[in-house]
Amino acid sequence: MRRFSELNPLAATVYFFCVTGIAMFSSYPPLMIVALLGGVLFFIVRNGSSHMRSHLFFLLLFIILAAANPLMSHNGITVLFVMNDNPITLEATLYGLNSAAMIIGVLYWFRSFTQIMTSEKLLYITGALSPKLSLVLSMALRYVPLFSKQSKKIKDSQTAMGLFSDDNIIDDIRGRMRIFSILITWALENGITTADSMTARGYGVCRRTQLKRFTFRRGDILLLVTSLLLTAITAAALSLGKLDFSFYPAVRYSAPDALGICGIAAYSALVLLPVIIETEVSLKWKYLLSRI
Amino acid sequence: MEILAVKDLSFSYPTCSEAALTDVSFSLEQGEFAVLCGATGSGKSTLLRMLKRELSPLGKMIGDVTFSGTPLDKLNDKVSASAIGFVMQDPEQQIVTDKVWHELAFGLENLAVPPADIARRVAEMASYFGIGSWYDKDVSQLSGGQKQLLNLAAVLVMQPELLILDEPTAQLDPIAASDFIATIKRLNQELGITIIIAEHRLEDVIPICDRLLVMEKGTLIADGRPEHVISEIRGRDDIMCGMPAAARLYTALNSGDSCPLTVRDGRSFVTENYRNDVRALERENAAPKTSPALSFRDVYFRYERNSPDILSALTFDINEGEIFCILGGNGSGKTTSVSAAAGINKPYSGTIRVFGKKLKDYKNRSLYRECLALLPQDVTTVFLRNTVREELQDAGASSEELPYDISHLLDKHPYDLSGGEKQLVALAKVLASKPKLLLLDEPTKGMDAAVKQNIIAVLRELRSQGITLAVVTHDVEFAALCADRCAMFFGGRIVSIGTPDRFFSENNFYTTAVSRMTRGFYDNAVTLPDAVELCRLNGKREA
Repeated sequence: MRRFSELNPLAATVYFFCVTGIAMFSSYPPLMIVALLGGVLFFIVRNGSSHMRSHLFFLLLFIILAAANPLMSHNGITVLFVMNDNPITLEATLYGLNSAAMIIGVLYWFRSFTQIMTSEKLLYITGALSPKLSLVLSMALRYVPLFSKQSKKIKDSQTAMGLFSDDNIIDDIRGRMRIFSILITWALENGITTADSMTARGYGVCRRTQLKRFTFRRGDILLLVTSLLLTAITAAALSLGKLDFSFYPAVRYSAPDALGICGIAAYSALVLLPVIIETEVSLKWKYLLSRI
Repeated sequence: MEILAVKDLSFSYPTCSEAALTDVSFSLEQGEFAVLCGATGSGKSTLLRMLKRELSPLGKMIGDVTFSGTPLDKLNDKVSASAIGFVMQDPEQQIVTDKVWHELAFGLENLAVPPADIARRVAEMASYFGIGSWYDKDVSQLSGGQKQLLNLAAVLVMQPELLILDEPTAQLDPIAASDFIATIKRLNQELGITIIIAEHRLEDVIPICDRLLVMEKGTLIADGRPEHVISEIRGRDDIMCGMPAAARLYTALNSGDSCPLTVRDGRSFVTENYRNDVRALERENAAPKTSPALSFRDVYFRYERNSPDILSALTFDINEGEIFCILGGNGSGKTTSVSAAAGINKPYSGTIRVFGKKLKDYKNRSLYRECLALLPQDVTTVFLRNTVREELQDAGASSEELPYDISHLLDKHPYDLSGGEKQLVALAKVLASKPKLLLLDEPTKGMDAAVKQNIIAVLRELRSQGITLAVVTHDVEFAALCADRCAMFFGGRIVSIGTPDRFFSENNFYTTAVSRMTRGFYDNAVTLPDAVELCRLNGKREA
C-alpha cells in the first residue's frame, strides 16, 4: 500500500515519459484534452488547494499560447473576423487551443514529476545507468549549498571589514568579483581534502557498487507493465493512422474505428492511473485507520 | 599482538631542506589507545599520514611502517583502504556526498560490497551511533558535531582495525568535542579498535589513554604511560601548557608521588596534601567604570518571520578599554549578538549603540572606518588574495606597526597557514582600519595551548593600546586567563556577568578545571597560577 510518490522511481519515470511522450508526439485533440485534464487533476489531488497563484499563472499562459497562433498564423479557410487587415481563422484558433493544451498539460505533468523525483530518486535512476555519474551528481548536489553558504560568510565578514566601503554599485560589483575569485580558490582547496577523504576510503580501488534504497516490488512491476501496455495500444492506434486529425487548410478527421477508440481509452486509463492509485490508497487508509 | 610498527622513519618534503620526520620509531599493540601531542608544525600530521598509505605525502622516505606484520606498501588495496581508518580535522570538507545514508555507504560502495551487505552494515552502524534520527537528512542540515560523528561512522562501517584521528575535535565546541572523545573511548573499549589520535584538547583524552607520544620538530621525544611521560617532560613549559590542569598543578608544585590526570584525582591531590587556612586570594577591586563602548538595550532578533527569537531582550554594556568575554552554549545567541553589533544582522526591536551613537546613525559604512571591526569565526573568509603581503597591502596594513611579528609569513598563501597564523594575519588585516572596538568570534578555535598563550598576549597588548575587545568564546580556560569581565549567554540573553574570579567561582559546571578541582576548598581559585599561589600560601599538610 504505497502512494504513487512512494513507488519505485524507475517505474514512475517510465510512466511519466509514457504520458508526456504520447502528448508530445501526437496532436490528436481528444488525447491533448485528456493529458491536460489528467495533469491538472493529478497535481490537485497531490497538492490540494495550495498553489492557487501558480494555477492562475498557468491559466494566463494557456490563454496567451492559445491566442498567439491565430494572431500570427493566418492559414485556414474559415475566416471568423478580420483584425487590422489580418484574417483570424477558425482553423488557426483551434490549432492554437490544441497546442496550448498540449504544452500546459505537459508542464503540469512535469510539475508533478519534479515534486515526486527528489534528488535521492534521481541519483537512484542515474545510478542504474552509471554509479560513477550518480556519485558525481551527488557531490554536485552537496557542493551547491556549501558554495552559497561560504559565499555569504565571506560577504558578511568582508562587509564588517569595510570591503564595500561606499554605498555604490561599482564598488559593490568589484567587491563581489573578488569574493567570487577567492571562492574558486576555496573550492579547489576544499577539493583536495575531499579527494583525500575519498581515496582514504578506497575510491578507485575497484568497480563501485551502489546501495539501493528502492526495490522492485509487485506494485512497481504492475505499474511498469500497465503503463507500457497502455502506451503500446495508443502508440499502435497512432502509428496505424487511426487517430488522424489535420487542421489546415480545413479541419478534417475520420471517425475513429475500434482500434482508435481503444487507443483513446488506453491513454485515458494511463493518465488516470496515478489518481486511481492515490484514491485507492486514501480509501484504504481511511478504512484501516477506522479499525485502530 | 603488535598491530602497527614504525621503524626509524624519516621523511622530508620535496621542496623543503629540513626533514619533517627524523628517526621516528614506535609500535602499537592491538587495542591500545595512544595520544600523539606536540606543538603545531611538530610533524604530527605528517607522521599520521605516513601510517595510511593512500594519504602518504610525496617526498623522500626512509625506514618502514608495517601493519600487522606486512609492510604498508605491500598491503592489498582493499585491506589498506578498509583496515586503517583515517578521520581528518575539518568536519565539512571530508564529507563527499549529499545525504547521510549515502555518506555511510560510500566506503563500502567503493570496495564493491554487495548492496544487501551495505544496507545491513550501514543500518548497524547507524543504530550503534544513534544516527537513526538523521539518517535521511541532507548533510548540510547537520551541526558540526554531527558532521564529525558522521565522518567517524563512515570510516567505521569499513570495519577498521586501526583508527587514526588527526585533531578531530579542533573545529568542534567543547560539548560536541567531549561527546566525540567519549565515542572514541567506547569504540576502543567495546570493539577493541586500536586508536592513535593527535589532539590539542588534552584535558579530555589524556585521562583515558594508555600511551602518550610527544613530538617535537619531527622527532619523538617521549613515549610511555601518560603519568611517566608527564614527569619526564615536567620542565618543558611549552609542552606542559597543554596538559590537563591537574597534571600542571602537580608539576608546578613539584610534590606528591603519583601524577593526577583527572579533576577528581587533582581534587584529592590538593585536599590531601595541602591545608586551607587561607581560603581566598586578595583581589583588586574592579577598574572604575568608564563610558560604554558598546551597549545593547532590549534587543530582539530572529532570522525569519516565523522562527524563534535568537536574541530576546538582550541588554548589556561593554566598557571602554576592557576585554569582555561572551560565553555560552551553542545556539545561545553569542555569535548572533556580535554580528548584530557589527550591523550584519539587523534586530527587529531595541537599540544598539557604538560609542554612544546609534548603529543606524553610522551612515555610508562609516562604522567600519576607525571605529568597529569584526573578526569572524572562520578566519579564512577574511582573505581574498594570493599572498599575505598582498593581503596586507590591500588593507593598507604594515607589518611593522603590529604588536606581533608576522614578517616570516608574508610570501605564503593565506590558505596554507596554520590556524594560529591565520588568526594573526586576519587580525593584522582587521587592525588596519584602526578600530577602537574589536569583536572577535572564537579566536582560539582549533589552536594548541602554546599558540593560545600567544593570542592572549596579543589581546592584552591591544587592550593596552586602548582598544576595547569583545571576545565570543567557548573556551573557559582562555576566558579565565584574559577577560576583565565575562558574561554567560543563555536563551538569547545574559544570565550572569562579572569579573572572571567571581564569575567562575559562582558557576558550578560551566567553569575552569582548576575551579572544579578546588571548589569548596578554596574560594576563588580560577586559573592555575591562582591555585599554585594558594597552595604555596597554605603550605603542605603535616604527614
